[in-house]
Amino acid sequence: MSVASLIFTILLCPLVASTLFGFSALLGKRLPRQDLISTAAILVALVCSLLLFGQILGNPALKQPGGIVDSMVIDWIAISDLEFKMGFLFDSVTGVMLIVVTLVSSLVHIFSMGYMHGDPYYPRFFAFLSLFSFSMLFLIVSDNLLGIYIGWELVGVCSYLLIGFWFEKESAADACKKAFLTTRVGDVGMFVGMMMLFAKFKTLVLYGEEGIFEAVSHLGSEDILWLSVAGCLIFCGAIGKSAQFPLHTWLPDAMEGPTPVSALIHAATMVAAGVYLTARMFPILTPGSSLFIAYIGGITAIFAATIAIVRWDIKRVLAYSTVSQLGYMMLAIGSGSYVAGLFHLTTHAFFKALLFLGSGSVIHALHVHHDDHSEHSIERDGIPPEQDMRNMGGLRRKLPITFWTMLIATLSISGVPFIFSGFWSKDAVLGSALGKAMSGGSIHYYLLFAIALIAAMITAFYMFRLIFLTFFGEPKNQEMYEHAHESPMSMAIPLIILAILSFPIVNKWSFEDLIMQPDQPHIHASTQQASALYAEAGASDHDTHIAGDHQGDIHHTAHNIAMVCSIIVATLGILLSWLLYARQPMTEDPVEKALGPFHTILWNKYYVDEFYNGVIVKRITLGLSNIFGWIDFRIVDGIVNVVAFINREIIAGIVGLFDMIVIDGIVVTVVGKGIRAIGVQIRRIQTGTVQNYLAVVLSGIIILVLLFLSLPRWIP
Amino acid sequence: MRLEHYLYISIILFSLGVFAVLTRRNAISILMGVELILNSCNLNFVAFSSFITRDITGQMIALFGIVLAAAEAAVFLSIILSIYNEFSSINPDQTDTLKG
Repeated sequence: MSVASLIFTILLCPLVASTLFGFSALLGKRLPRQDLISTAAILVALVCSLLLFGQILGNPALKQPGGIVDSMVIDWIAISDLEFKMGFLFDSVTGVMLIVVTLVSSLVHIFSMGYMHGDPYYPRFFAFLSLFSFSMLFLIVSDNLLGIYIGWELVGVCSYLLIGFWFEKESAADACKKAFLTTRVGDVGMFVGMMMLFAKFKTLVLYGEEGIFEAVSHLGSEDILWLSVAGCLIFCGAIGKSAQFPLHTWLPDAMEGPTPVSALIHAATMVAAGVYLTARMFPILTPGSSLFIAYIGGITAIFAATIAIVRWDIKRVLAYSTVSQLGYMMLAIGSGSYVAGLFHLTTHAFFKALLFLGSGSVIHALHVHHDDHSEHSIERDGIPPEQDMRNMGGLRRKLPITFWTMLIATLSISGVPFIFSGFWSKDAVLGSALGKAMSGGSIHYYLLFAIALIAAMITAFYMFRLIFLTFFGEPKNQEMYEHAHESPMSMAIPLIILAILSFPIVNKWSFEDLIMQPDQPHIHASTQQASALYAEAGASDHDTHIAGDHQGDIHHTAHNIAMVCSIIVATLGILLSWLLYARQPMTEDPVEKALGPFHTILWNKYYVDEFYNGVIVKRITLGLSNIFGWIDFRIVDGIVNVVAFINREIIAGIVGLFDMIVIDGIVVTVVGKGIRAIGVQIRRIQTGTVQNYLAVVLSGIIILVLLFLSLPRWIP
Repeated sequence: MRLEHYLYISIILFSLGVFAVLTRRNAISILMGVELILNSCNLNFVAFSSFITRDITGQMIALFGIVLAAAEAAVFLSIILSIYNEFSSINPDQTDTLKG
């Protein structure tokens, strides 16, 4: 099968599965087993993605960024000289993303069959999952920004629907609105950025002869500022979608959705769409926008990691961890390492999906039905009892599969050396920041490297805190512990598969071989060393070669340093966690004691939500609303009232007079009476006598015959 | 006898029929005029089939025409009866309800 038909199949399967549900709901009939339909659809898409990946391995041209622009391009909208084309872009990045999305999605589908079993909206859940899969896949294969934007908004809608899946719960309904609106803030920036590019280049297609990237490489140095602004604006979309600081607040709240949704959308795929977009826009990044992206990523990484230390809700810990890891990916791309960013995206998708599904398994095991609620399982701090780590402990004996798989994922995310994929990808990120700093990049990158290193230590600390609190020690809530049971096979198998993928099966070397970094034509344009580098490049081939080797050496050294540092910080983090949380008995939170007042700040998540509510919503938005309301009431309504008065009193009078005199007087009288007079005359020929009619018909026939006889011969 | 002679007869019959249809003040006479017109056509068919095509197609159509005329007479007479019931007359000049 050709690339285009495979991509079509991948897109159509989940779309059909979700629309089937829609149609059957319209007809008032439920299809039997929507879960099987959706799962089969995503499995077909997975197989097609694997086939496509096989094509990449066999065709080196596909490893180039941009790959082949397939012939499947259609004119979508054409308004005079404005044209929007829709097509597929297929290169190795697309291939990897397709596999990540379809694989995680398939496993989540299977997991959900166990986890969501018995839910009253069980079929609808699968229809939403299918719709989400379609949207995400569409986003990945689009070859232009408009297509990406459409997919982008569609995944936003699906995220909204799935976070609010249990919409009877008020917190879920609030969370889904918050997620939708917060990401929309970023999307406005992204849209403005797209319009900037479109205004200049008259196209939104990325690669190809007429694409944006080709046009960007011909820009002069006077446009660099403009390009930086456009890059930052498009990155705003990624800030919203990938929950980067300062728009990160929606992602932890999104944990109100079912846990498989958190695994699929809010850990592995949708939030990674922001990273994917930033990676796709890599060739237009300038030093300014790169540094902006790197700083946002670095700040987010440490910011979210520190908040995660004090969370008690198992899902919130993982949510902040996701935010933090997404920051790492952004940092890598901002440091000019496209491959490291995407590599961390891939490994993170697997181990974070595993962690979420594992936490889902724990929650499923501990879930106490509401009718047998007792005093032991009351809510504390608004955390549902089955998600509260203060109720867990010792579960490794009850949930062996969940424990071992989650332990593997935790070792991976903490960066335990060599045999876990997370170590390699985190090392690639850290190395890229340090390499950028050492090879003459801005001094800021040293700072970012230090931040990322501290964040790595905190990551190891809070992840092991989670493991120790959940699986080790003595059960803290005996009743829930007695009730706990290992999950069914449909939930255990996805965990095991994801655990296998947390080993370096996707390793650094295969990834670097697979994905080639695109050129960044303007990355040196405005810095001091630009002229030096250009001079060096222009000097001679020999010198360039030496310079290239020199750069390679620096990067090699940087990676070695980063690797040593990351091993040290991971060990420190794990040891600290062991000292504080693994010893018995734990009477109060040791972190709370150690941090003192800082703990309160962390517990309140640096008051970002309070800031948004108190300042932006209450002061700025409400203030603006009042001002606009006043303008609306006084000025807009005033104008409307004045115009209405003028209309009613003056124009209506004139029109009324005109109506009476001209229309009624002249038009109606003249036309009406004239037609009546004509009618009176014409009615005379309607005698009602059959013989008269016959006579007329006969004379008509005679006239016709005479005409025919007298006409020239050209009438056949 | 040549074809023309038949056609002359046919023309005369046709003209008489038309004249009757247009001028008579009695619906029965109009029916008779219509019969004359139909028969002039039948005569034409038979004449042409005998002199020109030399098969029986025209004669067959003439037979159909005669049957048709009989059916038409039945319908016509029943319409005349209805008209008489309505207007107490069968003079076509008096049935001018549709006059504009």
